[in-house]
Amino acid sequence: MVLPPNVSEADFNAALGEFRSAVSASWVFSSDEDVALYRDSYSIYWGEPEERVASAAVAPAKVEEVQQIVRTANRYRIPLYPISTGRNLTYGGSAPTMRGSVVVDLKRMNRILEVDEKRAFALVEPGVSYFDLYQYIRDRNLKLMLDVPDPGWGSPMGNSLDHGAGYTMAAFRDHFGAHCGMEVVTPEGDLIRTGMGAVPNADSWQDFRYGAGPNVDGLFAQSNFGIVTKMGFWLMPMPEAFLSGTITAPRFRDLDALVQEVSYLEDLGLTGMPQYGSPVGQAAFGPGAGAMASLMQNGWPSTEAVENFVTAQKRPAWSVQLYFYGPEETVRGTWQATKRRFAKAIAGATFQDGEFLTLPIPREKEPTQSDKPRLGIPALEVFNMVARNPQTADDPSDGHADLFVTIPRKASALWESARVLYEAHREAGMPARQSPFGTPFTYYSRCFWTGTTVPTWRDPVKNARSRALFQKVIDRCAEHGWVSYRTNPAFQDLVVSKYSFNNNSLLRFQEKLKDGIDPNGIMSPGRYGLWPANMRKNRA
Amino acid sequence: MRHTLFLFFVVGLGNFVFAQTASETNGKAVFDKWCTPCHGAVAPKNVMFGNGALAGTSALAVKYKGKLPAVLEQRTDLTSAMIKSVVRGGLYGMPITRKTEVSDAELEDVVAYLTRNRKK
Repeated sequence: MVLPPNVSEADFNAALGEFRSAVSASWVFSSDEDVALYRDSYSIYWGEPEERVASAAVAPAKVEEVQQIVRTANRYRIPLYPISTGRNLTYGGSAPTMRGSVVVDLKRMNRILEVDEKRAFALVEPGVSYFDLYQYIRDRNLKLMLDVPDPGWGSPMGNSLDHGAGYTMAAFRDHFGAHCGMEVVTPEGDLIRTGMGAVPNADSWQDFRYGAGPNVDGLFAQSNFGIVTKMGFWLMPMPEAFLSGTITAPRFRDLDALVQEVSYLEDLGLTGMPQYGSPVGQAAFGPGAGAMASLMQNGWPSTEAVENFVTAQKRPAWSVQLYFYGPEETVRGTWQATKRRFAKAIAGATFQDGEFLTLPIPREKEPTQSDKPRLGIPALEVFNMVARNPQTADDPSDGHADLFVTIPRKASALWESARVLYEAHREAGMPARQSPFGTPFTYYSRCFWTGTTVPTWRDPVKNARSRALFQKVIDRCAEHGWVSYRTNPAFQDLVVSKYSFNNNSLLRFQEKLKDGIDPNGIMSPGRYGLWPANMRKNRA
Repeated sequence: MRHTLFLFFVVGLGNFVFAQTASETNGKAVFDKWCTPCHGAVAPKNVMFGNGALAGTSALAVKYKGKLPAVLEQRTDLTSAMIKSVVRGGLYGMPITRKTEVSDAELEDVVAYLTRNRKK
């Protein structure tokens, strides 16, 4: 049995009793067997004293129950940790940031409160998953498209509050950016609504985000200022058609022009999330593996050596796949204009027409549809990337921890970051698979994310190596101003410490807010480096 | 009041009968919702990441190399203990499933469904 820090067993039991009164005994989990279900399956500290395990869990079904739980927590100084669907894997899953917290499991709050087809929004509770919302929209033949992250079992609310992202147009794939209106239980048990939700009887809660005065919505993302119990999201009207097309650029140095042209389309709102690739780099994982090993045998190669390598391989250095949404005339016209622009900017660029679909695709075709998230269809196919495969057949990992850092949207930053990631892996004594042909993630349209996926294990020796690599990558990248936007709880203090301008003035400001809004420090202590005053010694 | 009692009786009886006889049916529904996205039989030919098929089915194909079916619904050797252990404990990349997601009663239904063809 794990107790919350600085809480007596008597007080803990009294609090559990009040939780049972609030939600009924069947929705308070305190046996070892039940509490174990709130372990982070991908914990990088699995089975070690530092593993962030809960003391108990409580699962309310209504806002009023959440308020009762919060008031009880204040009475007994019980640290709470809310989760929505609890599937934020690699970033903590359903486990708390601080060991001994009581998880507030909001999965039972699973009502889709409203979906307005004409105004293109949804209002949902925390436990609604992307699968749930998709099913609701399709069952009613609503002409709306979701923007979904790779794993569809997460929730629109939880994903957006952790700054998750998807695949369609920039305005929608920034999931927090596409939210409109929140209802929040504050750390003292009050209930607030943001934006137009604060106006009694207003019918524009999901239409206008700001209301008047300071906009506080951002306080509730990656934070510990309250429990969000309702959240609105703008949805994309279902486009009539979808078209993809692939462009290749022959030379290594062409990436600069390629990024500029893709960014032009992105910033005009003409393409969904671009998918960069490298035919040369990709081929090196197959029959070209020997050639790539040769290129990398003396460490990071010069640009001249890389350019010569590309020429010798007789493959394009780069590719980018673009995705167009809209009426058929528009998507075909945009693809035509795209080809004209890229042909002018990049000598030797090639173009390949991709998939054309009339939307929505028939339901019976969904199971075999490739890359479902591009069409707003939730799936779990991304897990194929980390599942047991022929290369890991005898020793598949038990999970993984993603480490992505934000870099500027330009070729030079991408090349430099690939080298730094390569060096960090070597310095940590881990296999360095990076090459000059690394490509960026473009979930956020205005920046690149790049990084690495670190395996996690139910083996402390292996996990220690993974943690050393994780820390090395964070530190080395931060030297260049590249820092994660989201990270595993074990590294949140470290990552936040890199946002250190003016003697950590941002964190100090947040701490002042924390002290005023959550005076007893009961809400998610330590989440993203933000500790209550009496626990700041915990900070790394 | 009489109508309420009658309704309660019918619904209650219905649940009882359902629980006794229809758990495989509900088990399939629960399986379809929670398990099929990784353990289903039908997959796209091309996926953005990985080597095709669905993560669970693909992983089991590598693990069993044809000695056992990779698709869970085709297995005849699964036991209640195995299923519950994996669902509640996770296994490799498959995470723990909580009771607020799949209740103990629903898990029993999944067991009934996946063991329906178990060789005696």
